Amino acid sequence: MKYTNMLNKTFVIFPILIALLLFVFAGTASAQLTATANHDHITVDFFYHGSTISVRGVSDPGTDLIIKVTSEDGNQTLRKKGKVGGFLWMNVGELEVEHVPKVYFLHSTRNIDDILSRDEMNKNVIGYPALEKYVKMNTTDEAEKDRWFNEFVKFKESSNVYATSTGKISLMDKDSEQNYYILTEWPYQAPPGKYTVTVYAVKDKKVVETATSNVLVEQVGMVKSFANMAKNNAAVYGLIAILAALTAGFGVGLVFRKNGGAH
Amino acid sequence: MYLYLPVALTSINIIIPVGLGLIVGLLSGLFGVGGGFLMTPLLIMFGIPSTVAAATDSNQIVAASTSGTYAHWKVGNVDFKMGLYLLVGGFAGGLVGVEFIKMLRAMGNADFVIKITYVLMLGIVGAYMFIESLSSMKKKDVKEVEVQKKSRVREFLKSLPLQTYFEKSGVTHSILVPIFLGCMVGILAAIMGVGGGFLMVPIMFYILRMPMHVIVGTSLFQILFTCIEVTFLQSYTNHTVDFTLAVLLLIGSTIGAQVGAIFGRKLKGEQLKILLAVIVLAVTVKIIFELTLSPSLLLSQAGGH
Repeated sequence: MKYTNMLNKTFVIFPILIALLLFVFAGTASAQLTATANHDHITVDFFYHGSTISVRGVSDPGTDLIIKVTSEDGNQTLRKKGKVGGFLWMNVGELEVEHVPKVYFLHSTRNIDDILSRDEMNKNVIGYPALEKYVKMNTTDEAEKDRWFNEFVKFKESSNVYATSTGKISLMDKDSEQNYYILTEWPYQAPPGKYTVTVYAVKDKKVVETATSNVLVEQVGMVKSFANMAKNNAAVYGLIAILAALTAGFGVGLVFRKNGGAH
Repeated sequence: MYLYLPVALTSINIIIPVGLGLIVGLLSGLFGVGGGFLMTPLLIMFGIPSTVAAATDSNQIVAASTSGTYAHWKVGNVDFKMGLYLLVGGFAGGLVGVEFIKMLRAMGNADFVIKITYVLMLGIVGAYMFIESLSSMKKKDVKEVEVQKKSRVREFLKSLPLQTYFEKSGVTHSILVPIFLGCMVGILAAIMGVGGGFLMVPIMFYILRMPMHVIVGTSLFQILFTCIEVTFLQSYTNHTVDFTLAVLLLIGSTIGAQVGAIFGRKLKGEQLKILLAVIVLAVTVKIIFELTLSPSLLLSQAGGH
C-alpha cells in the first residue's frame, strides 16, 4: 500500500519537475514576449452573433507589436466578373487561390511599412503584399495577379473576414516591461475552426521575437447537430427538410381553412 | 433577434427571412411562380452564400407551393392531369438541360449566351403579356382577332395524336403538347438555373389556353414536385440546404401563399396577367442594370447561379 502511494507520488512529482525544467529552458531560450488570447474558445449556438477576443501579454519596452490572427491555409475558388463585348458585366471565369487563409486579421502598433522591412514582412507573411507573394493563383501574369489579389482582399474585407488596423493595440510600461492589450470584434462570418494568434515583437525593422496562442471557434449543441447531419447524413437531412416543408405547407393551409380564409 | 444558421455559417436577423418569405410567398400564391428569381438574389444580398441561398430557397418553395396548391385545390383550381403531363416533360427536360449546359460550358462563353437568351426571353414574354392583357382589358374585340391569329397553331395542335380532354381546364389537347412544353421549360430552367414558373404560366395561358386561375394552382402543383427533387439533390450532393433558414423563410411564405391565393381569387385573369407581366418586366430591367452597371465587387462565391 505504502509502496503504491510512493509510486503514485513519483508519478505526480516527476512530470511536474520535467515541466518546470522545460519551462525554465524555454524561458531562457526565447525572451519574455508572451501572448494570451482571452475568449480562446468561442462557442457557436443558435444565438451566436459574433464575439470579441482580446490578446494581452508582455514584451520588451520599446518594441513595436504586430498581432496576426489567421485560420489554417486552404484553397478557395471564386467567380470573376468582367466586361464582355465592352459593356456587359458577367462571369468570365474562376479565380483559384491556393494556400490562403479564410480569415486574416492584422493589428499593429504603427503602420507596418514604418516598422518592418519588406523582407521580414514576406518571411512572416505580414501584410497584404506579403500574403499576395505567399499565395498561389491561377494566373501567371504579374499585373493580373496583382489586380485579382486586390479584388480578393476587397471581397474578403466586405465579408469582414480580412481586416487590418493600426494603433488599436494599447501599450503600457510597467516595471521595465511593456504590457500590451487589444480587444477586437470577432465577426460571425468567421467560420468554425482553429485560429492562430501570432504576436511579433518588432525592433529596427526586424522581427525580434514571436509568441503564439490559439482561438478555437466551435459549433455546439443543436447548431453542431444540424451542421453534422447536413454533412454526414445528407439523405436523411434532405428528407426531413422536405417532410417538414410539406407539413408546414399543409398545416398553414388547414389553419387558413379553419379560419374561413378560403371563402 | 438574430439567429445563427448552421449550414450558411452566418447570422441573420429573423425579421429578414420571415419578411422575405411573406413577400415571395404572396407572389407565389398570386401568380403560381416559385419566386426563386427574387428570393435567391435577395438572400445573397443579405450575406447568405449563393449555393446555400439557391438550395434553401427550393426547400422553402416546397412549403410555399404546398400551402399555395392546397389553397387553390380547395376551390377546384388545380388541374392534376395537366400538371402530371407537364411534370413528366419537365423532368425529362431537366435531365436534357443539365447535359446541354455541360456542352455549352465546354464550348466556352456559355454565360454570355445564357444571360442574353434569358434577358431576351423575359423581355419578350413580359412585354407580350403586358400588351396583350392591356388590350384585352380595354376591349374584348382584340381578343377575338388574337384567337383567329392563333388558329393555325391551334389547328396544328388539334392534328396531333393522343387527344384528351382536361376537365378542370376545360381544354382538349394531345398529351404530347404538355409533355413537350414541360420539357422545353425544363431545359430552359436547367440552363438558366431558375425554376421557370414565370415561363410556364404564360405558356399555359397562350398555348394551352387554360383559364388563368387554374394555371396558378396547376403551376404551383408542378413547382412543388420540382422543388422536392431539387431540395433532395442539393442536400444530398452539395450539402447546401440550411434547414434553419428554410424554416424561417417558410414561416412567412406559407402564410404569404395563402394570402396570395385569397387575393388572387378577387382579381380577374387579365389583372393577374398584367401584374405578372409587370413583375417579369421589372426582373428584366433589374438584370439589364446588373449587366451594365459596374459592380462594386468583381468576385463572388462560386456555385449557385
